[in-house]
Order: sequence, then C-alpha cells, then structure tokens
Amino acid sequence: MRFRSGVQFPLSMAVLAVVMPGREPVRADLGAFVDEHCLDCHDSGHSRSDLSLEGLDYSRPGTNPEVWERVLRKLEHRLMPPVDKSRPDEGSYRHMTGYLTAELDRAAAAHPQPGRTDALRRLNRTEYQNAVRDLLGVEIDATTLLPQDEPAHGFDNVMIGNLSPTLMDRYVGAAQKVARLAVGASALAPGGDTFRVRPEVTQEQQVDGLPPGTRGGLRIPYQFLQDGEYEISVRLVRDRNEMVEGLRQPARVEFLLDRDRLAEFTVQPPGDDKNWEEVDRHLVHRATVAAGPHELAVTFPQAPTALFETVREPYVSRFNIFRHPRTVPAVYQVTITGPFSPRGPGDTPSRRRLFAPLAGLKPGANDDARAHAILAPLLRSAYRRPVVEADFRGPMQLFREGCAEQGFDLGVERAVSAVLVNPQFLFRVEREPAGAAPGTVHAITDLELASRLAFFLWSSVPDDELLDTAVRGELRRPEVLERQVHRMLADDRARNLVTNFAAQWLHLRALEAVKPDERLFIDFDDNLRSALRTETELFVASVLEEDRSVLDLISADYTYLNERLARHYGISHVIGSRFRRVSFADDPARQRGGLLRQGSLLTVTSYATRTSPVIRGKWILDNVLGTPPPPPPPDVPALDDKVVSASLPIRARLAAHRDKPACASCHNVIDPVGFALEQFDAVGRYRTLENFHPVDASGGLPDGSKFDGVAGLETALLARPELFAGTVVEKLFVFALGRGVTPQDAPAIRQIVRQSAPSHYRLSALIIGLVQSQPFQLRTTP
Amino acid sequence: MIITKKALPRRTFLRGLGATLALPLLDAMIPAATAAVLTPARPVRRLGYVFMPMGCDQTRWLPGRTGPLGDLPPILESLAPHKDQITVLSNLELRNAYPGSHATSNAAFLSAAKAKHTESSDYYLGTTADQLAAKQIGSETQLPSLELSMDMLQTTGQCDNGYACVYQNNLSWSSPTTPLPSEAHPRVVFERLFGEGGSRAERQAALRRRASLLDLVADDLAGLKLGLGAADRTRVSEYLETVREVERRIQRAEAETAANNLPPDLERPLGVPALYADHARLMFDLQVLAWQGDITRVITFQLARETSNRTYPEIGVSDPHHPLSHHGNDPDKIARMAKINAHHVSLFAYFLDRLRHTPDGDGSLLDHSALLYGSGIGNPNVHDHTDLPIIVAGGGLGGLKHGRHIRYEQATPLANLHLTLLDKVGVQIDSFADSNGRANELFTPLSV
Repeated sequence: MRFRSGVQFPLSMAVLAVVMPGREPVRADLGAFVDEHCLDCHDSGHSRSDLSLEGLDYSRPGTNPEVWERVLRKLEHRLMPPVDKSRPDEGSYRHMTGYLTAELDRAAAAHPQPGRTDALRRLNRTEYQNAVRDLLGVEIDATTLLPQDEPAHGFDNVMIGNLSPTLMDRYVGAAQKVARLAVGASALAPGGDTFRVRPEVTQEQQVDGLPPGTRGGLRIPYQFLQDGEYEISVRLVRDRNEMVEGLRQPARVEFLLDRDRLAEFTVQPPGDDKNWEEVDRHLVHRATVAAGPHELAVTFPQAPTALFETVREPYVSRFNIFRHPRTVPAVYQVTITGPFSPRGPGDTPSRRRLFAPLAGLKPGANDDARAHAILAPLLRSAYRRPVVEADFRGPMQLFREGCAEQGFDLGVERAVSAVLVNPQFLFRVEREPAGAAPGTVHAITDLELASRLAFFLWSSVPDDELLDTAVRGELRRPEVLERQVHRMLADDRARNLVTNFAAQWLHLRALEAVKPDERLFIDFDDNLRSALRTETELFVASVLEEDRSVLDLISADYTYLNERLARHYGISHVIGSRFRRVSFADDPARQRGGLLRQGSLLTVTSYATRTSPVIRGKWILDNVLGTPPPPPPPDVPALDDKVVSASLPIRARLAAHRDKPACASCHNVIDPVGFALEQFDAVGRYRTLENFHPVDASGGLPDGSKFDGVAGLETALLARPELFAGTVVEKLFVFALGRGVTPQDAPAIRQIVRQSAPSHYRLSALIIGLVQSQPFQLRTTP
Repeated sequence: MIITKKALPRRTFLRGLGATLALPLLDAMIPAATAAVLTPARPVRRLGYVFMPMGCDQTRWLPGRTGPLGDLPPILESLAPHKDQITVLSNLELRNAYPGSHATSNAAFLSAAKAKHTESSDYYLGTTADQLAAKQIGSETQLPSLELSMDMLQTTGQCDNGYACVYQNNLSWSSPTTPLPSEAHPRVVFERLFGEGGSRAERQAALRRRASLLDLVADDLAGLKLGLGAADRTRVSEYLETVREVERRIQRAEAETAANNLPPDLERPLGVPALYADHARLMFDLQVLAWQGDITRVITFQLARETSNRTYPEIGVSDPHHPLSHHGNDPDKIARMAKINAHHVSLFAYFLDRLRHTPDGDGSLLDHSALLYGSGIGNPNVHDHTDLPIIVAGGGLGGLKHGRHIRYEQATPLANLHLTLLDKVGVQIDSFADSNGRANELFTPLSV
C-alpha cells in the first residue's frame, strides 16, 4: 500500500490527520486476556468455533484486522464470553476494547485502506427512475420497465455490475418509452394502461387527495402522451358469484380529471334478468385530454347515511369477500386507452423544459443548431460531467434520422432515447488514475465525488449546482462539502433517504408482501397496510428534516397517525385520512413512539398468524445492534417431537427449541430480544393478553441485560448510544458506497461515530462524517 | 386480450389466449403415440422447466406402485387426462443442494451445482441445464431462452441462511456467475416476445429502431474502457458481447416476424390478473405463444419462489406456504400444504392441455417439447433434497415413453435426468454436474 506522488492531495491529507486522535497510548496484555477468556473455546482444535485465537501475534493486533475487529465487535457488544461463562468485569472490558480500538485505529491511520467501490456500476431501478425525473421532468414507474435488482448486504444498489442481454434489452425499451413520454412525437397505435385497486382496499372512506364528500375509488397520476381523445373505462368489484358487490340500490360513480368532474354515471342493480354482467358496462367515457401529467380519479359521492357514523366494534374491513362482503360498490379497475385521433404532442412540462434552450438561440437557427442546443444541458446532466463534442455524435445521428422521417420533434425524441441508452448515462464509472500501480490509494475525482454524493443522498444524478461546484474544484473543501450536504438534505429529493434507504434498512418494503391471516386479523386491509408504511416514512422523515439525533428513532415520544391507524392502535380523537403528528410526551405509559413501537416493523417481523420473537429478535440484532446472529444450521431439526399446544403462549412454544442444545446457543441470544416486544401482536396492536394468557414481555439483550417490555428494551438499547449510531453509520455506508463493510472500514466508521457524539448523533452529522471519511473520498486501484 | 381486436366477454377475458388461439380440437388431436412409433429417434425441439417451490407432501404425490400409472394420487389428480403424457420419477436427489436450504433448492434445481456460500457479488453456481440447451437450440430464435416467474415483489433483507438472494430468485444461470432475472408481468413478457404488438409491418419497424439504438450503444461502450483496470476492461468487453447478443436477437426477430405462424395482429395483455391461478394460466398461455411463434425454444418458469409466503385463499388455504411447509408433521398442516401442491400441479396440467391441443408440424407442441416439472426439495419440513417430486412430460416424437412411475432403487442424481433431456436437444456432453449416468428408462417401452 502506498500513496502516489505528484497528485494533489490537500483534502485527503486533511482526512488522514483527523484519524490520529491525540489520545494516550493504552497498554494491555492481549495475550493474557485471550488466554483467560477466549481460548477455552477459540482454540485451533475446538469444534464449536470457526474462529481460532490460538498462536496469533498478540503484540500487534493492528496488523490483523480481520481477526481483531471481529473480536473487538464481540467485546464491544459484550457478546463474548457468553453470559453463562466467566466474564471479565466491566473495567476489563473497557480497558481491552480501548486498547484494541487504539491499536486498530493507529494501524489504519498509518496504512489507509479506503477499500474499493466497483469501477462500473449500473444505475439500478430506483436510480433510473429518479434520474429520468430529474433530467426530463417525467414521472415513470420503473418497476414496469426494468427488472428488479438483486439485493446484497441488505441493499439493491450493491450488486449492480452485471449486464445481461435481457437487461440491455429492457434498457433499450425503457429509453424509447421515456423519450416518447418526454417529447410525445412518435405516432403510435392507441395503447392501454390498466390500474387495479388492490383487492384488500376498503373503499368506504375518502381517499387521500380526493375531494371531501367522496368515498373510495382511486387516484391515478397519469402522463397523457399527446393531445387527443382517451377512453376511460371502469369495472366494479365483483364477488365470487360474479355479482357487483354491495350494489343494492342505485349508486353514482364519478370520473374526475384534475379534480373536475368529467362524467357522472348511475349504476343500477340488475332487473329481473339478473344480468350482473351488464350493470357497469356503461362506465365508459371518451374525453379530450391535453398531453402531459394529469390526475385522473374515479370515485363515488358519499351517500348521506347514518350507517357509517355509528361506531361498531370491532372495526371490520370489507375486503374479505369470503366473509365480509362490501356494503357499497367499489372500483375494481380503471383502464385508460388512447390516444384516439391524436392532435400532436401539445405543451407539457417536460417539453417546456427540454425545449427551453431554444429561447436563447438566434432566430433562424437551423435544425441541427437547435437540436444541439437542446442536447447540451441534457447530456451534461445525464453524463454527470462537462460535455465534449463527441458526446453529440450518436444523439445527433438519431436526431437527423427522426427529423428526416417526421420532423424536428421526432428527431428530438430519438435523440433523447439515444442519451438514455448511452453507457455514460447507464453506468457510474470510477476510473483509475493513469499509470497507478496496483494497490495505490488515490482520491476520486471531484466529479466522481459529486456523483457519489448525489446517488447517496438522492439516488439520482447531481444537479447543476453540484456539478458546477465540482467543476470549479471546490467540492473537496470540507466547508463547501458540508454546505452542499446540508443543501442537498434540505431538498425534496432527499426524501429518497426515507423511501429508498430506510425502506430497505428497516425492511419496510416487505410490508407490501405480508398477508396477516384474515380470520385472526379481520380488520387488516390495504388502507391499514399503507397507513402503517406512511407512519414510519413520516416518522423517519421527521428525524431527517428536523435533523434530529438518530437515537430519536428508538426513543421518540411522538409518531404520525391518521384515523385508520389511530383506530388500529386504539388512540382516540384522530379524525380523517390526513396524517398528523401525535405526541405522547406526557404519558408515562405511552404505547407508541419510536420505531420499535410502530406497526409496520412489528408486522413485517411476524408470521401471518402470530408474532415471531425469533424474527423480531434477529431484526433488532441485525438492524439496531449491528450484530447479526449466525445463520441457522442447514439441517434444522424439526420441532415435531415436542408439538406443544398452539394455545400456549409463544414463549412456551419457543422454549421447546431452546431446550435443544443445537438451537439453544443462538436462540438463547435471539429470542429474549424479541420477547420484549410481545406486548404487540402480529399486526402491531398493543395487547395485554395472548390467547387468554397474560403477556409476558420480559426480555434481555445478548450483553446479559434484563428488562421488561418495549420501554425496557429501548432503554437497554440506548444505554450505549454509540452502538446504535454505529449500526446506522454501517447501513448508510453500504448504501452510500454500494459495497459491504469490511474489517478495514471499521476504524473509519468508529471515527464517524466519535465525531458525531458531541452533536448527539444528529443524522446530518453522521452523513457529513461519512462523506468526509476516507472510504467515501478515496479509492484503491485493483 | 392478446390477440383479438374484438371485445371478449368478461368470463373469457382472463382466458383470452386460450379462447382465441387454440384451434379446433380435432385439428390438434394427432395421436402422439402413433406418430412416435413412426419416428422414434428424433430430437426434441423444445425444453420447458417448471419449478414448484418447497417440495410437497410425498405421501400424496407418489403413485402407489411403480410401472403403469393407475389411479393418480391426490396431488397429481388433475393430470389424469394426460396420464399417457407423463412419467413420474422418484428417488432422484440433489446432493449439491446440501447443506439443505431454500436458496440451494432453487439454485440447484437446474444447475445441480453447489452454490458458493456468500451474500455478496462473488456468488458462484454453475451453468444451468436450460442454458446449455439454449446455447444449442436457442441460437436461431429471437430469444435463446425465456425466464418467467410469478412473484412481482422482490425479497429484501430476508435471503436464506447467508446465501445471496440471486440463488433464491433465479433458476437460470447462463454461466456460474450470471443469473438471469425472470419476469412475472404478463405485459412485459408479451412486449419482449412481440414488442408492442400491432401489425407485422409495425412490429418490424419497431425492431429496426431498436437495432439502430443498439448500434450507438456498441459504439459508445468502447469509450468506457478508458482509465479502467484490466478486469474492468474485460467486463466492458462482456457488456459489448451482451449488446451484440441483443442485436443478434433483434435481427432474428426481424427475420421471423416476416414469416411465422402467429396471428398477424397481436394485442397486448394490460394488467396482472388479481388471482394467482389466472396470472399463472396467462403466463402459461404466453409460453404456448412463444413456442408457437418459435420465438424461443427454452423456457423456465418458477411457480413461486422458495420461502414464498404466498397464501392461496382461492383454494381455501389462508396460511402462508413457507411456514406451512415446515409442518412439523402436523397432519392438518400437511393436508393444507398438499392442497397448494395440487393447485400448482393443476396449473401445469392446464399447460399440458394447451400444448397438446396446439398443432405443430406432424404432431402437437407437446409431442415436440419435453417438460420437466418438479421441486428442489423433497420433504420441506427438514429442507431435504432427496426423493424429489419430479415429472417428465411430452416429447413423444422424441421417443419419450410415458404413462408410468419409475422409481430408482438407489438415490440417483437429478443431473442424470438433466443430461438425458440435454441429449435429446443435441447437447453433446458426457456428464452434467454430479451426474453418474443417464435416465434412459424414459425411452424403454411401456410394457416393461
């Protein structure tokens, strides 16, 4: 490992300087410690461990971070020696972790190993979608255009170096579609899009964003391709006998375009012929719509009836057609087909933006000059660097072809599609310095740094200001970098840290796929599912936007509720579909607040029929403490020889497997963490009884601490706040750098945590520490 | 919904393809056995692999005895009309799927290889049988192979026992390091097969536009190599090869659009059917179309992924499949799991029915196509990879003899069966993964 000479290094040297804290050297006898506390199990011949600490060089642990970082992690978390073995006292723990930390940090400072993010990284699906939005002002749903990305290390932006023919094919198709949406020039046969309401959506209340006085239906933000006529057709939900559910008396249906009424219908129950097939056949309307983004909605006027005003317990959702048929009709699907008799691309926001540079041209400029002017800013943003003349060659070629075929607009559309399939857009490239020897540590370029920042905070391309700053060579100045980070965090695009980063970190994405048992949780409908997700998103967003301490994620005494969710939680006086912040500051027995009390996480860590203290415990070990338990052995022995009554509390049932030595060594660590959340059922409701047994929520952490319930768990987790802060940094690190954390990264992560301690681990401090760190700014040649 | 420009009645909407493409039964009912006798040793034209997740209840799967199939056991009941077109093989195993897990069940099913235990991008498996076949018989078609699945939502943070999610998600691997993502959205599959549809001329013009875009990509890729290390430059060369491959596909598609036996106008399916069975049948319909139009000859289809927590309320099973499969020998749970198993098999029976009734040369699509249906797990309760549930179907004109249950006395590698099917499409290799022979029993006359 060596530094290259002759390359400018002002900032990276500054980074290095901070790594060496001016602390007193710690002395400790690592050999004696290992001999006394570890070697009983971790010797070279012992079968129970894959880690041997025998015969190592105990005098210089810094030279072997692969082993000693692992040991340090176990000691730092008080995981080893196991609780039932003889353990060092707290003072010895602190002394030894202090010594190992100092040794490992010193070695890392002397020989920086910033690691290496892959040189070629494809934009993943989310990044593609965001980039298209920021380049062209077109909102797309990339899940319909591109295949999903494989997650690794918990995030889907890690394993993105491959390019299969299928994927290439899809990028080509996506580019054509996006270009068509942006420009609207290419003639096309009428196409169709169908939008379905998920079957579990209860359509009895006002849908958020639709006018008061309406109930149910759906709201569709839709990009109409061209000025022209579009046909909108609607089908209503049917039950298994193919009858329209809930249609007992005439019902009115309204189509709205941008909240204005477009058409109104009445649906009648069938006459004597019982022809249910035809009752909603007439829900078709053809309308002239201007090209561009609009909001189409189909909904029902709220019938003035007292029935829904009465309180009924328990709240029963209408989604389950097998048990609880709807009382009022509901929308099944909306199909938009068109354009018929198209009248051109019209005037859309994306076209205004794309064609804006034409205003600066001299009158009478020829087509080539006009196309060139349109492409210049687009290419710069898309390729995330200043453009060179060669960049224009391909797009201009397609421009001329399209122009010759059907005029200027089609030329621009073809040129835009050429930009969107260009590898300079589709791949994030980090190049090696010319002539660098293998293993050389070097600073990434300012433009590469700008891209890292933008893809970390926005999962999108850098904007003009960020690019300008990088081009001026100022981005590496710490105060400039910090200012840029604050600016970017204040931007709407930073919501990506909630909807993308946090949604993956916290497994929120899994909420879409959970299906709580309908018989046990009769009120679990899709409205609740979306409310659960919104609660956590708004909550995490509040920490981001108010720049709170990340510890608030665990300890906050407030959350966000709407009526549906408040009812689920048993909290009164929250009326309406709008979410608002609800504080429990003065309530010593509060049930809600931080993440561990939120229904979203409690549900994704449960089975369909019951809670899973195992999954919940593992979730906390993985995502809060950063100490994932080892994977279960492959030949999991069945529990069948001790089938215990399903009516017993889950704790009693799990006791069976903790009796087995093969299971116990891990489950004794995992299960007690999850037991502390037993006050919440499998859909996150608070409970005091489980199957008529009083809930026993006594739990413990792997460090041996014991407590009762979620409040005790939170207190124990935050007793050493640097552990949770460290986990957050590690998760941000994987997401920011697109690679797993290695033992060599541990010193940098510790430093970020240390630096953010004075600000009480504010989220922005963690993020700024991360972007100022060596792994974020430096790179090693292969 | 795909083909016709006429309005379809609602009841037939979801069956669209089936209703509109199938020719009258009489045309299609060429007795396979007769044709097979006439030409016993022809190659099989196509291979299809259908993957069933998480094993099954073997007691309700296995026919009571070996030899000719009598009354079918409960899980296989729906295959009764096609008894003469299927062979049940038992006591096949996947040694390389051990240590047992869900990830390795999926990964080994078509590779019979050992998955490298990693969560990261250094994953390594083996080239799967379907991809070996695709290299042999896929080079002339628009798509060398088609990878399909049913799960629209991706798994995050839950991959199995420290294995990267790629193992659990992808059945097909074109090299030990290249998993091929599958597609579950019918409209997207349709568009890959037929573009946006439309008339023949429209389809061809669309292909030409794609080709000219790809030309540009190929030109620009070279520039990417500047300033990269040797390994990354190699990777860029691989990208270039990928682009060339897509170009070749487009050229083939252009040629084939001019002359194939598909209906001249194809209309896209729009959404995803809400009911699992409707969605699955639509995916099978698309496979029939892909074969009928000779757009591809190799298809893999994952009926659900391993550890799927899908529930099947439409058949009265509201428990998620995965926990149910770890039934702890609870008879009640086993019975419910078996319902799911039977449901999956019934969808495969639908596919056989469609293939059998679609004419293809001197027989039906089924006569010219060999299908493998099964799972990478035997007894799911313990992640067991022995005594796998396996069915081979079709391929009558390639000499496959059906209508019986073959049980191997000794546990036999599933790879033997893969090797045998690869033989039939002309892949000349001596062994595949852990194979130790061939499943030649499939060709011996029924009277044995």
